[in-house]
Formats: sequence, structure tokens, C-alpha cells
Amino acid sequence: MTLTRWLKRLAPLVLCFALLVTSCSSTPSRYDQVQKDTTGFRSPAAVDKKAEKGGTFNQFFPASQGDYQVIPYQEKKGFAEYKLKRGDTTVAMLTINDTISLPVAAEKYVDATELVSGYPSVGQGTTATGLLVNGRYQVKVLSRDSSFGKAERVDWLQKFDLQGLSQLQGKAVVRPKQPAATASPQSDAPVATDTVPAKPRFKLPKVQVPAPEPTLQPAG
Amino acid sequence: MSKKIYEVVDKLPKGGLTVRALKSLDTFVPGQWDNLVGFDNTIKVVTGETDEAMIQAIGERAVALFNDKKQGYQTALWLYETVDSASGLLGTAALANRIGQDTFLGFLKNISPKPEQAQTIDLAVKLVTEVVAFCKISGIPGDSLGDFLTALGDYSSESLIRMAALVSFDGIIPLGAEFSTKALNAIKGMSPSDIESNQTFKGIKNEIPGNDSKSKLSFMTESFESTKGWMDKFVADKGITQSGLLDNLGGFIEGSRGKLDYLGAFLDMSVKYYEHTGTQTLARRLIERAVAEI
Repeated sequence: MTLTRWLKRLAPLVLCFALLVTSCSSTPSRYDQVQKDTTGFRSPAAVDKKAEKGGTFNQFFPASQGDYQVIPYQEKKGFAEYKLKRGDTTVAMLTINDTISLPVAAEKYVDATELVSGYPSVGQGTTATGLLVNGRYQVKVLSRDSSFGKAERVDWLQKFDLQGLSQLQGKAVVRPKQPAATASPQSDAPVATDTVPAKPRFKLPKVQVPAPEPTLQPAG
Repeated sequence: MSKKIYEVVDKLPKGGLTVRALKSLDTFVPGQWDNLVGFDNTIKVVTGETDEAMIQAIGERAVALFNDKKQGYQTALWLYETVDSASGLLGTAALANRIGQDTFLGFLKNISPKPEQAQTIDLAVKLVTEVVAFCKISGIPGDSLGDFLTALGDYSSESLIRMAALVSFDGIIPLGAEFSTKALNAIKGMSPSDIESNQTFKGIKNEIPGNDSKSKLSFMTESFESTKGWMDKFVADKGITQSGLLDNLGGFIEGSRGKLDYLGAFLDMSVKYYEHTGTQTLARRLIERAVAEI
């Protein structure tokens, strides 16, 4: 009897203690590691000091055309973003960023097998298509509406002033391999031979110069 | 220690007074606001991504960007949180004790309405907070009112509902239909000492452009003057009226009709709409940037 009475008295205390202990430690999260790596003394900056000003990229975005409106959305160091609207619907986001802050973003283009306007291009996830200019500047179109698919993304990637962007002087972050083939649906895009901007007053990054010897093409 | 953005977004409430008050505005801006909560959920909804590895990569970049103080996201979050908590009259703990025990009328006995001048300053400070925080998030220079006004024209979802709540809960309910004209005239007649004693202003004054209270007041006046046209048009286009607002709020704040000044004070204390929707705006923009940069 006494024991039961004691247990009854202890139960709320035990419960309170258990609640206290569990409430002190927050639930583990898949982002705990990156939180740890990016906070505290000497944690790395998310944006490299040498990154281009976001404002520099504005001039390379396509203009509003037809039913489409191109609206400024964000402009941070190393990054600029525009919203692409058709009527009241946002169909896509258009972006340019400097991969010097995040080289891994540029590395995915090293083995790219597709070209858009002569630049290595990759699909990412289910909604994004990007290309890399000068082994450094990433241009992306990200779908925001089901009516805007890969073909539309590739089409809008070609509307950027990629040649103008290629004249920026930043050093390459990666050196993409010469793509071996162009695959559909991007095969109608201009091929690698037109990648070199013609204006001679700028020193061109080596990565953009086509290899002098003929590259092997797949048979057929 | 810096806040963990993923926890802040994960902890956004799904219900409660703030969410209900914001939902009551749906009549005026139908379908604009969906209470988007949860960090991973926000990534999925904003980007349309379903691939888990992509979600993880987007989330990690977003966390890194938020933690880099120079990017301005932490200051923006602080602004949205501070302007809400500084404008309340009583502590939320005191309020929480009373909710559920009293009817609204019973509760009203314990609070007093804010003087009109304090209410006017609150409105102006909240508006200037929007200018500064939004500019920090989007990368627009903080004193560039022209760029802000362009962006305002394209406001949608949680940003638009925040502005709807501002004109409704801090404008029309406490100050009446002519709130913008009334407030602008009042601010124009104020001296720096009038705003220096205001709690809301004190809370965020360091982030308002200007070297001293005089120039800060002048930036506030200029911000208000520039956005007045947008606010008036918004109220007219959406048909927002005091009685319409009261009808909607009456659904869950019992006995609020006829006690407008008290209702304003009550909303001020209990509804943290700047913090709630400001966090949502910040998370959206951060995620939009992260998915583009990876």
C-alpha cells in the first residue's frame, strides 16, 4: 500500500523530469550538420568576396516579350533573379549566379553531354535547367507552372544575352569537357562552334576556346 | 547564438489567433495566402521539387545563406520579429493566461486603448520596417523607395497578406477609413521627440535609414507618403471596410463590435502577423535563391 502511494506521488515528478529532458534537446534535423558548419567563429562566408555584383547580371536577362513579362525579383552579391509571368501566373524564375561562392554548382557541368547555345547544360531535379558560361556563370530557368516544361526552359535559356555574359572577366571555376554530343530536345540549339564571342577586345577564358583537333562524334 | 532558420520555419504556427486573423482577410484578397509552414514543406511548395536529394541540397544552401550575416537575412528576421513584439502593450504570457478564461469583453477591462498618436507611429514604423526588411531580403538598397514601390506592385501571397493586415489591423480598425490621410498629416506634424518615446520606434530605430531621429522621421514620412497611393488604391480595389473587417473578426473575437479602439489594442498584442508572414517571405526568397545557386 505504502509503495503504491509513493509511486503515485512520484509519477508526476518522473513525468515532469522526462518532459524537461526531452524539451531541452531539440529534435535532430537533417540540417544540423550544415548549421554547425556555417555558424560560429571562422565559419566560411556563403558568398565569396570575389563574386560579381548581382547588379552586373541585370543587363543579360531577356526583356519582356509577347505575353511574357520579365519582372525583377532579387539582386544579391553574386546573384540576380527575375520572375517570368504570363498574365497573372508566374511560370518560371530566371536566374544568373556566380559559382565562385559554390564551386560544386559549377562542377555538375564538367561532364555535361548537352549544349544550349553552345554552353554545357544540365537538367537538375524536376524543375530546373541550367547552363554554364565561361566555366563560372550559371544561368538557370526554373519552372513554376506545369505549363512550362523543359522545352520552354531551354527556349528561355537561349533568350539570355549569353554572349554578353561570356565577356565578364572572372576566372573559370571549372573547365567543362568538350561535350561529345547534343541530345534532344536541345539538339536544335546552336552547337559548340558558335560559343566563342567574336569581340576581340576581351581576353577569352581558355575553357571556351574550341579544341583545334576535330572531336569524335558518335556514329550515325 | 544565431537562430536556426529551419527551426524558425518549422515552428510557425498552423493555427491560433495570428493565423485566424490573417485568414479573416481572405474575403478581401481571396486565395492569396496559404499558411505555408515547415522548412522542407516550404521548399517543396516553392520550388515544386520532390527529389529528396535536391530538397536537402536546397535546404543546406538556404541555411548557409541565412547564417552569413552579411546577406541581411538575419537582420530582416529580427526586424519582423521586433516590430511585432515592440508594438504590443502587454507581454504575451499575460495575455495567454487570459485567453480561454474570459470573454473578449472581460478581457478588455484589463487593457487600455493606445492613444491615436501612438497608433499612428506604430503604423508608420511598421510600414518603414517593411521597406527596410523587404529591401534587405531582396537586395534592393534600403533607402531606395522607388525600387520598393515597383516591388510592392508585384507583391503576392504572404507579402500581400502582410500589407493587407497592415492597412486593416493597424490602419482601418484603429484609425478609420481615412487612416492614411489622417496618419500622414499626423506624422508630418510630429517632432523627433514624439517618436523617440514610442516603443515600436525604439525597438527598430537603428535599422531605419538616417543618422538621427530627425532624419529617421523624415525617411518614415517619405516612405508613408510614397506608399499612401498604393494603400488607398489597395483598400478601394479590395473593398476593405471597417464593418467588413469587424464582421470577419467577430467570428472569433467575441463582442468586438463597438469596441474598435480596444480591438485595435487587442490585435496589437495578440496578433503577430509581421513576424509570421515576414518569416514566410524570408523563407520563400531564401529558398528561391538557394535553388538557383546550387
